Amino acid sequence: MTHQPLLQVKDLHVFYDQIEALRGVSLSVDERAIVTLIGANGAGKSTLLRSISGILRARSGSIKFAGASIEQAPAHLIARTGLAHVPEGRRLFAKLTVDENLRMGAFRRNDRRAIEDDRERLMDMFPRLRERTAQISGTLSGGEQQMVAMARALMSRPRMLLLDEPSMGLSPLMVDFVFDTITKINGEGITILLVEQNASLALQIATSAYVIESGSISLQGSGVSLLHDERVREAYLG
Amino acid sequence: MQSATQHLSWTKPLTPPAVVLPLKTGIITGLLAIYSAAVGILKLFFERDVIVDTLTLGDLFLATLAACCGAYVWRKSTQAGHIRAAQAFAAGLIAGLILVGLVVAVTQLNLRWMFTALSADLSRTLTYKQGALAGSLMIIAASMSAALCGALLMSMSDSLRRSLLWSMACVLIAGVFQELIQISLRFGGAVAAIRELLYVWGGLTVQGAAIVFFFAFVVLQALDARKRRGAATTLKSPAPKARSQLASALLLIAVLIAFPLVAGSYIGQVMMLVSLFVLMGMGLNIEVGLAGLLDMGFVAFFAVGAYTIALLTADSEYALAQDTFLPSLNFWSALPFAVLAATLVGVLFGLPVLSVKGDYLAVATLGLGEIVRVLVISDAAKPVLGGAQGILQIPKPHIGSFELADPVSLFYLTLVFVLVAAYIAWRLEGSRLGRAWMAIRDDEDVAQALGINLVQSKLLAYGLGAAFAGLAGAIFATMLTSVYPHSFSLLISINVLALLIVGGMGSLPGVIVGAILLIGLPEVLREFDEYRYLFYGALLIVVMRVRPEGLWPSPQRKRELRAAEKG
Ligand SMILES: Nc1ncnc2c1ncn2[C@@H]1O[C@H](COP(=O)(O)OP(=O)(O)OP(=O)(O)O)[C@@H](O)[C@H]1O
Ligand SMILES: [Mg+2]
Repeated sequence: MTHQPLLQVKDLHVFYDQIEALRGVSLSVDERAIVTLIGANGAGKSTLLRSISGILRARSGSIKFAGASIEQAPAHLIARTGLAHVPEGRRLFAKLTVDENLRMGAFRRNDRRAIEDDRERLMDMFPRLRERTAQISGTLSGGEQQMVAMARALMSRPRMLLLDEPSMGLSPLMVDFVFDTITKINGEGITILLVEQNASLALQIATSAYVIESGSISLQGSGVSLLHDERVREAYLG
Repeated sequence: MQSATQHLSWTKPLTPPAVVLPLKTGIITGLLAIYSAAVGILKLFFERDVIVDTLTLGDLFLATLAACCGAYVWRKSTQAGHIRAAQAFAAGLIAGLILVGLVVAVTQLNLRWMFTALSADLSRTLTYKQGALAGSLMIIAASMSAALCGALLMSMSDSLRRSLLWSMACVLIAGVFQELIQISLRFGGAVAAIRELLYVWGGLTVQGAAIVFFFAFVVLQALDARKRRGAATTLKSPAPKARSQLASALLLIAVLIAFPLVAGSYIGQVMMLVSLFVLMGMGLNIEVGLAGLLDMGFVAFFAVGAYTIALLTADSEYALAQDTFLPSLNFWSALPFAVLAATLVGVLFGLPVLSVKGDYLAVATLGLGEIVRVLVISDAAKPVLGGAQGILQIPKPHIGSFELADPVSLFYLTLVFVLVAAYIAWRLEGSRLGRAWMAIRDDEDVAQALGINLVQSKLLAYGLGAAFAGLAGAIFATMLTSVYPHSFSLLISINVLALLIVGGMGSLPGVIVGAILLIGLPEVLREFDEYRYLFYGALLIVVMRVRPEGLWPSPQRKRELRAAEKG
């Protein structure tokens, strides 16, 4: 079977000045999959996502998304091809309201009617946001902010979502909700690359998974296989 | 919560002793008074009457200092009411004592070798010409009662305090600008009657001050009551609000048109200058306020606009028509080129600093602005731009056969441009581009990830901001009929930035308020010109401390600050 993955990263090297943060990372994400990337602090997970979405420029290696090479493309053009990045720490427009943040998510779209529909759908997906549409997003709780961050990314109708530690700092209940939502979003046909510290939950919903250690991939396999892998259990699930 | 209070009851209370606050505040107030005396501005204040033969600006300044001191103590103190009042009183006492100390020092020692302003004359004025002992007691009494008044003001309801303060401000304006107002009321009939009711030849009378105060107070209270009633009863409906906004904008324009006619050509000139800075302020507001790109080299675009007009229209050896095939243009046909040239330079200016952020951007743009100025003065550019001697003989604009020669008609010309520019700036703010700028200002990474083209949006901000400055420069050149490189100093960039900060970053009305305060006011109060930058500094500090969002902030900015307070 010679199918093309939706996202394919090959031998990616990324530097911060002299420091090599990614040392030849390769990874591929099939259409409609949930791929999880786990790793310790500072392993290079965020760096990888930022390189994919074009905020960082790789020194060498290739990134293909939907058949096109994007490793040289500017970030805004990559975003326009349907790759949405929910950065670590949410990074909402803190001074804007929830609604205005969502509208920012639809920045590139002109189809007003459909934007309205999408907003409505997202409000169903995140009912807690419905009563907070006019609230300044900087004043939301961490969990609510995460919802807005995801909703904002979804407003661009992406084909693929890069999620950087969406469960960071959330209560167990909220973590469950976030993971449920991720599965739901995936169920609507959106491919997901998920970076997580919460390895056990992330591996459970993943179709396939990668472990990154000091800038290179040390293990890969299906979500379930990694969940039962001795090394993974020791390092990330203990 | 409970454990916290328990814990506190075990340990000593954390509040400092009640004397610290008044002592500190009183000393600072006293030192401020001494400072104003030593640099000489107090002397000038004493020479200016607010109410003729009764109250000078100096008295009022000192009283305001003491009142602020009392108000500050009242607000900061955590004590019970009567202790607070005593604290305010004490702070006034300390400030008064320090001022008395100054009087004593001035009479006993010779300080004039160091501070020329500290003369025996000054101490006589300070002691109300009543001799050392009685005068000193009067100073202390005045200082204490002013401090108490300040505290009293703080204890009032917001509405009452606001009305009182604004009414006093009206008296101050009526007194300080008496000459201007009297000239404006120079007509006969009913106008003369009003004038005679309030003024004598030398200035505002006591009766006039009282009338102004009560009239202002009644009007303000009535307005306040109506506003409160309106807020309570009507639901917020945007349509009437928009209509009333439009009405007040039209009223403002009508006043702006009528004012220089009534107040004379000097005021016309001042308003002309103010509107030039409003134009530049709106331009810089696009860069700094909307897109968050700090720019300290803004004057470069102003210069480009001015020099383009000079080169295209001047009747001089440097005019392009002299040694190229280009025809000599008039102001109107040269204007688009001036704006275009400024825009182009703005974009070029933006290119090297695209990836520079924050403080570094300020320094980089500062350097770019200086480069432009130095280039203009340089020997290399001398054959083209005239070097330090500049380019002379720039014609004034004509409409038909009418020459817009005097400041008032040039002001009208500028006003038209300001209105057009304001409309464009307003539309930009709400546009897609405006939203892109806002996103970039807040978070460049996220903006990109949402599909916003950073390079394009930033360059557009520089280009459009520069276009406004180029327009201002073009008018400036034709106003002066000449351009010199020294007109385009860093100080202009700083002025424009300061007026944005004072008025309120990102706010169009704020630009106007800032320009009036920082450009117009110093022009009208020429006798204090020496202290212009003292005033700037003081105003900037006060605004930053008391109203960091600016005097007339945009609704967005107000909300941001509220969010910051909550969050
Ligand atoms: N802007 C930067 N400049 C220099 N070094 C950086 C920068 N950002 C990240 N690094 C370094 O690159 C390495 C990888 O960082 P990265 O943020 O990708 O880690 P991470 O896996 O996302 O960690 P975490 O789980 O803590 O978010 C770290 O050693 C980090 O210190
Ligand atoms: Mg990270």
